Amino acid sequence: MSNVIISASPHVRAKTSTRRIMIDVCIALLPCLVAAVIFFGAYSLAIASASIVCAVLTELVYSAIYRKVWKDFKGVMGRLFREFDFTSVVSGLILALIIPTTYAVKGELFYLPLYLPAIGSVFSIALAKMVFGGTGRNFANPAASGRIVLFISFTAMLTSCVGNCVIEPIIKSADVSEILSGATPLTALYLPEGGLTLSPLDLLLGTGVDGSMGETCKIAILIGYAYLAVRRVIKWYYPLIYIGTAGVFAVMLAGFNFAYFLPSILSGGLLFGAVFMATDYSTSPKSTLANVIYYVCLGLLNSGLRVATGIEVTSFCILLMNCLVPLLDTYLPRRPFGYVRAKKEVKS
Amino acid sequence: MKKIKGFRFSRGVHVPGLKASAEKPIEDCPVPELLSISTSMALGKPATPIVAVGDKVKAGQLIATANGPISGNVHASVSGEVVAISSRPNGTGGTETYIDLRNDGEYETAYLPPITDGNAEELVQRAFDAGLVGMGGAGFPTAVKLKPRSPVDTLVINGAECEPYLTCDHRLMVEHTDEIVRGARYFARALGITNIVIGIESNKPDAIEAFEKYADVKVVELKKQYPMGGEKQLIYCTTKRKVPIGKLPADAGCDVQNVATCYAMCEAVELGKPLIERIMTVSGGGVPDPKNLRVKFGTPLNSVVTACGGAKEDVVKFVSGGPMMGFAMVGLSSTTKKTTGGLLLLTEKETDYSPTTHCLSCGKCADVCPMKLMPMNTVFYTKAGDYDGAAKYGGVMNCIECGACAYVCPAKQPIVQNIRLAKAELRKRMVK
Repeated sequence: MSNVIISASPHVRAKTSTRRIMIDVCIALLPCLVAAVIFFGAYSLAIASASIVCAVLTELVYSAIYRKVWKDFKGVMGRLFREFDFTSVVSGLILALIIPTTYAVKGELFYLPLYLPAIGSVFSIALAKMVFGGTGRNFANPAASGRIVLFISFTAMLTSCVGNCVIEPIIKSADVSEILSGATPLTALYLPEGGLTLSPLDLLLGTGVDGSMGETCKIAILIGYAYLAVRRVIKWYYPLIYIGTAGVFAVMLAGFNFAYFLPSILSGGLLFGAVFMATDYSTSPKSTLANVIYYVCLGLLNSGLRVATGIEVTSFCILLMNCLVPLLDTYLPRRPFGYVRAKKEVKS
Repeated sequence: MKKIKGFRFSRGVHVPGLKASAEKPIEDCPVPELLSISTSMALGKPATPIVAVGDKVKAGQLIATANGPISGNVHASVSGEVVAISSRPNGTGGTETYIDLRNDGEYETAYLPPITDGNAEELVQRAFDAGLVGMGGAGFPTAVKLKPRSPVDTLVINGAECEPYLTCDHRLMVEHTDEIVRGARYFARALGITNIVIGIESNKPDAIEAFEKYADVKVVELKKQYPMGGEKQLIYCTTKRKVPIGKLPADAGCDVQNVATCYAMCEAVELGKPLIERIMTVSGGGVPDPKNLRVKFGTPLNSVVTACGGAKEDVVKFVSGGPMMGFAMVGLSSTTKKTTGGLLLLTEKETDYSPTTHCLSCGKCADVCPMKLMPMNTVFYTKAGDYDGAAKYGGVMNCIECGACAYVCPAKQPIVQNIRLAKAELRKRMVK
């Protein structure tokens, strides 16, 4: 009995760990990846691998330099591999799933060069996550920041994709490049006339629409959502607040045209962002009240900016709200159990 | 009275029961030759020894008197001779004064005179004389609790026993129902009230059934939820009253007593027997035969474990009390006290000591906090040495240290440890 442990209570702990949670998120993202392979071909796998490998390598290299790997190579590397918690895998995978696989130049289709996801994930891990302190300390969603960097730097490549569907699109418009010229069917949606040509079923299944590789098949996202909710990785009601607010606000902006409800929540990156990106642990608020405000604001911003700009804005909204999270957490403190009563006594 | 369903407090966790000894009847633990009775068995200052080395004492004789308002009397648990009075490490990091008794095997008793039809004052005095302390784990002197600052109208009996492994209160409720009810009536009389409520978690249906036959006791079936046995949670779930933050249960008109304390009160009043023994659970994966034992205070933990078949080889942690709020000990060198409700010998599989990783900021600790605090903020500010920040943004001073946050933490952060550090530093400042 020489190795008796002394520690503070509690002495039993729930069977959970950071690694397990992150692997759960990866599992939840798998249906989206599978859908991407079915809809956009095996090249999606290449993009996903490039993104994940770059993300993981960036994290390892950054941590190795930070821990002065040249002084004790074996010790530092051993520690890094022991502490590797799959957060960078999740970031890399999400980043890959929110960019398209192809781009078009004058009607001709090209595969997206692999240096794009690589740049995106290096940026998102190094500059959005690690410089702020790594896991759990980043204020901005790494995948969203990576996508925005790509979006702003390579706008033409990220927004010009057109049909490369393995499954034949149901809508075969002759003018597909015009209707579906955005990264998502959004532009089509908010066109003054003919905007609602896409049926909600198509949007749900991802057939006939083109866009970011993981965002188009909504069924896959819903499977991932169900998995995360059942495994209690995320709270099941938070994404619903976001999606519901966005849908209702879109209906209101369209002059209470309820036909807009389903298309607006099923199009673009809203569903994916609500399930996988807005719920990111370190960039969302901690208390219930702050969370509700966060998700409602996200929904309002999303629908409002979509109408105002006509492009896909989910990543921007998430990034914008991420910046408000520290404020929400600081100025909306939780009231401890028994608080209300104490306040009354002070007044009287 | 027929059982009613209790309320449910928000947050909290579901901890597996692991109550291996729930069906084991209470047994007497063999009394060893040498007993070391600690003088620090109540929350406050250690009691002052009033015997000298060489003195002959009888079981139940006062051997150390209370020192200060929240200290408690200590009595000899067997008859015999005082062989030493010394200060020794207590196994959890501090030192305590122990009075060593050599057991003469005669068990001669020197109990207090029994009380029949005592008035409130007599009963409170008896609780003090008999050295009664809260036996749920904190060790707050019962006599102090019986003189509340503000008027009380409800006596809440705590039979929740929400900690995993522990079954001593459960067995006591099943086997000594009548004594507990009588003890509770004495408490109620001491407080001048008649409203008695007992809260029992739903995983003890036999105990609930046992209490249903008493017309003056309101039985509340509580949901199985940790920390249901916490004072504030229990009061809320049985009476729907909230104890204001920073206040005592009396401010919500309630007085909370553990079932074991009620049992001890019944014995102290009817037999005049001071608090010299208690029921404790010996359990965990490192014990071959988990049991509920009646032990005399001062019995070395070694002989308690021997009564349960001896410790197995793969024990890595010795815990005094429950696994959620108990203390880890360096070994079995210390002795049983009034607050030792459990002795757990945990194996590596049961106690998780996987290394701490970075805080994920997942907020799971805040999700389960029954006091609705922000434990991750407390850890964050405490690590930076900013204790005022921990109090302001983490609400650390309202923490009840139930350990639910550290239980669910996926990063295995030592949350409770940081909370205790912040509390200690803040208290130090307050004293200054």
